[in-house]
Amino acid sequence: MIEFKNASVVYPNGFKALEDVSLTINDGEFVVVVGLSGAGKSTLLRAINGFVPVVEGSCNVNGQEVVGAKPAELRALRSDVGMIFQTFNLVNRSTVMNNVLMGRLAAVSRWKSMFGLWPAEDKELALRALERVGIVEKAYVRATNLSGGQQQRVGIARALAQEPKVILADEPVASLDPVTSHIVMRDLKKINEDLGITTLINLHFLDLARQYGQRLIGLRAGKLVYDGNINDVNDEIFRQIYGRAITPDDMLQDA
Amino acid sequence: MTVPDLAPDAVGDTERPIEPDWPKRLRWILMLVIGLPFVWGILGLELSWGAIGRAPGQIWGLLGGLLPPDWSEIAESFNKLLESIYVAWIASIIGAFFSFPLGFMAATNMAPNWMTGPVRALLSGIRAFPELVLAIVLIPAFGLGPFTGVLAIGIHSIGTLGKLTSEVIEGVDPGPIEAIKATGGTRFQAMRFGVVPQAMPNILAYWLYRFEINIRASAVLGMIGAGGIGAEIVGRLRFRDDWPKAGAALILTIVVVLIIDAISAGIRRRIIAGHPGTGPVSRTLGTIVGDITPPVAEIQEA
Amino acid sequence: MTIADDPIVTQRPTEPPRSAKYVLLIVAAVVVSIPFGVLDLDSASRGAIYGAIAYVMLLMLGTTSQPTQRSGLIDLVSLVVAGAVGLKLYIAPIAARTTVITWRLSLRASLGWFLFGVVVGWVVYRNRKGTNPSAIVLIGLAFAGAAFLALQAGTDVGYLESISNRAIKRGEFQNIEQVFHVWVGLIVLGVGLAVTTSFVLGNAVVISVTAAVVFTMLAFNKIQFSVFEMFSRATQVTTLVDKLWPPDFTWSKSIGQPETFVLWQPYVETLRIAVVGATTGVFLAVPLAFSASRLTTPNATVYWIAKSTMNLIRTIPDLFWGILFAAAVGFGSPFPGALAMIMFSVAIMGKLLSETIDAIDPGPLEAAKSTGASHWQMVKSAAFPQVVPHYVAYGLYIFELNVRASVILGFIGAGGIGRLLDERRNFFQWDQVMAIVLVIFVTVILIEIVSIWVRRRIV
Repeated sequence: MIEFKNASVVYPNGFKALEDVSLTINDGEFVVVVGLSGAGKSTLLRAINGFVPVVEGSCNVNGQEVVGAKPAELRALRSDVGMIFQTFNLVNRSTVMNNVLMGRLAAVSRWKSMFGLWPAEDKELALRALERVGIVEKAYVRATNLSGGQQQRVGIARALAQEPKVILADEPVASLDPVTSHIVMRDLKKINEDLGITTLINLHFLDLARQYGQRLIGLRAGKLVYDGNINDVNDEIFRQIYGRAITPDDMLQDA
Repeated sequence: MTVPDLAPDAVGDTERPIEPDWPKRLRWILMLVIGLPFVWGILGLELSWGAIGRAPGQIWGLLGGLLPPDWSEIAESFNKLLESIYVAWIASIIGAFFSFPLGFMAATNMAPNWMTGPVRALLSGIRAFPELVLAIVLIPAFGLGPFTGVLAIGIHSIGTLGKLTSEVIEGVDPGPIEAIKATGGTRFQAMRFGVVPQAMPNILAYWLYRFEINIRASAVLGMIGAGGIGAEIVGRLRFRDDWPKAGAALILTIVVVLIIDAISAGIRRRIIAGHPGTGPVSRTLGTIVGDITPPVAEIQEA
Repeated sequence: MTIADDPIVTQRPTEPPRSAKYVLLIVAAVVVSIPFGVLDLDSASRGAIYGAIAYVMLLMLGTTSQPTQRSGLIDLVSLVVAGAVGLKLYIAPIAARTTVITWRLSLRASLGWFLFGVVVGWVVYRNRKGTNPSAIVLIGLAFAGAAFLALQAGTDVGYLESISNRAIKRGEFQNIEQVFHVWVGLIVLGVGLAVTTSFVLGNAVVISVTAAVVFTMLAFNKIQFSVFEMFSRATQVTTLVDKLWPPDFTWSKSIGQPETFVLWQPYVETLRIAVVGATTGVFLAVPLAFSASRLTTPNATVYWIAKSTMNLIRTIPDLFWGILFAAAVGFGSPFPGALAMIMFSVAIMGKLLSETIDAIDPGPLEAAKSTGASHWQMVKSAAFPQVVPHYVAYGLYIFELNVRASVILGFIGAGGIGRLLDERRNFFQWDQVMAIVLVIFVTVILIEIVSIWVRRRIV
């Protein structure tokens, strides 16, 4: 369970990225976060794994308080929270397998991992994670030789290899074309349904949010302006979130 | 030639911008900034037209003394050349070994400011000493010989490699580092799995490049008595009768150094590209032995 | 439920050879190189270096292969037969030798190893899918080449004699032939097997690391340098400090020159050399660099000439240039130093600039050409402006390098402060040496600071 209580985030330059947000996300939920760029979507996700510090209020993940957590506690928390990035953040020169194995870093012996000696069960886990996203045949190929969609699936596999309780996906499809966007979203949805991993996704496109999401969180200028079922979203609510009417630009495909 | 009338109506009506005169002035300033020191330098060089006039003849005479080379004692020269190469190799290893952690400590994206500042100062301090000067300073304690040569070249290499390493590290993509931190990895793990795989090819290439340079440096150090091919050539230049042997040693050095450079450059290209290269060496090998076998990935896909 | 409970449904790829084999190979390399180290075989190490070079060339092929299922009996039989025939072919010429082993004799003897190597190559080719057929010949050549070089090396300067005598005295061998054969055999098997493994594993990293390890051990052995020695001699640093510190800036008085600071004149001379060398060299490098870039070269011949000129100049160290010019225009004057620095500057600027030109945007060049400009007009108007900021930055950098390099020219009589340094060193006046070194240090640092400041403003 993730719980924000009156949480605020202020960046060093004084910019208020998140203001007084209170929010509870239950285990196994599939939540889509929308808003204009700069509305605080990324900040919300990054506050959960402590990448940006919450300066006021509290943020609690599975019973661990993020605010004021010690470095070791923070690492333990992060090992339970997988993150997927817009730019994939893979090590291009390493093989897919090594990239996925990075998800096991918090779990394996420090010394063995230094020399690249991974326990057999961790390798097995990494291969299963790759099977999940359907690219196990690429396991020993360098990440740089994969297409964008394949790279993002490696990113998902890396998060899966952590055996996480929560997955945070920060604009996972913003760098992908429509077809691969749907594949990646389907993968994420299926992982959420099969494994019951709580999933938070930042999305830019409304139709993708409608198609895959259950619960929608709308942010505007750092404030929570909508939290509810995605099917209840109408033009009025949309205007609240975006401050304007829907345009084709907000859709992935002109359906 | 008359200027063709491109815009008959506009001439005279529009206000044209005045051509700025700063480029002209800059040109003059530059000429002065470069020219004055040049003149100052030339005047102190004790030039005499006589010497310059004689120079081509002297060089010709010198070459005539060196050529045709006498290959009779080339085996000995070759051993000396090997000695220089060994010194260069060990010095490069010392440089690589110590510059690696220093490079991380000097990179602004890896280490805190209180650490990068002093480490950078240390590195540029080391670089300020030419290898030869370092060697001279080390002589009172370590004497003349390969040991001093290795230390002098090795220490200088730490300075240059440390700087280059830190620049490579500063240029890596921060994404993977963030990803590793997000999985709960430590700072050290982020370096090992996020930074090293990205930076290592370039760092390795610099190590090899430094080895190429160190061979030359080690040859030069021989001239002040640290052994190796430098001492060999200087020694043979002492007596006119030995000049053809010096010529042979010189030609040998040039050829071997060029071969090592070519091989090293081929490997460097390959390391950076991450696959068999298309450089001259790989290409030549390719034409000799047929197709270059594709990398692992393609075989597995087939 | 987690992914650990997922059923295995897909065909998984096999893991390519990695760490375990890699570690084994390094251990093997160390073991192979032990005889080189322990027996102090000078020519053996030479053989190993040729091996290392062959090795490095081969790794560029990047061979990758996978095992196939074939009967091992044929392999075994052919290896044994080839081994026996090869040994016979190898021993015969050596045994029949009268006095010394000529290169013809070595060639004939290495034929046996070639035969053996070819069969080894053929076995590898048969058993590893994806092996390049050239492996057969190349492995054969590696064996034969190693044998030839080992035989040749063993014949000169009597190394073999002394080693053999020692080994026989220790009772390890009965006679010189035995030592000889064991020794040649070790080299050839070491080099040959290394090359063979490279084809079997086909992993460039494995090969190059092994080669590097072997070469390092050799180098340490050859120049009698060990890590232990490095640490044990670390204490000598105190001696160093004793002798060098404090620096003596006042010795001009002791040699009867109370008025002039004795450092000043050679110091200025060094700066003059650096200035003239840098400015002239940087200008001369421009046509060379534009001729040595594929984008701006007028034709292939000029390109080739410019490129090889640059390589040639670069290969010869600055100090060798200094000697050459000092011999030509007279020792003791700063003029040859300046000439050497010009060569030095041309070499570096030529390389840096031509590489920068290679990377410029070719669009403007095409545009200039389409207006009917001549070749050099095109270069001047479309290529040159693109590289000007880099050119200036490189120029300053080269000036920096020149100051550092010109310091040492005095050692070979080409003028400047190096002469003083050499002189004080020969008098064992270490405190005075330190004074000169400090002056150099401060100068270099100051120039670097100024140069970095200017470069930052330009680029």
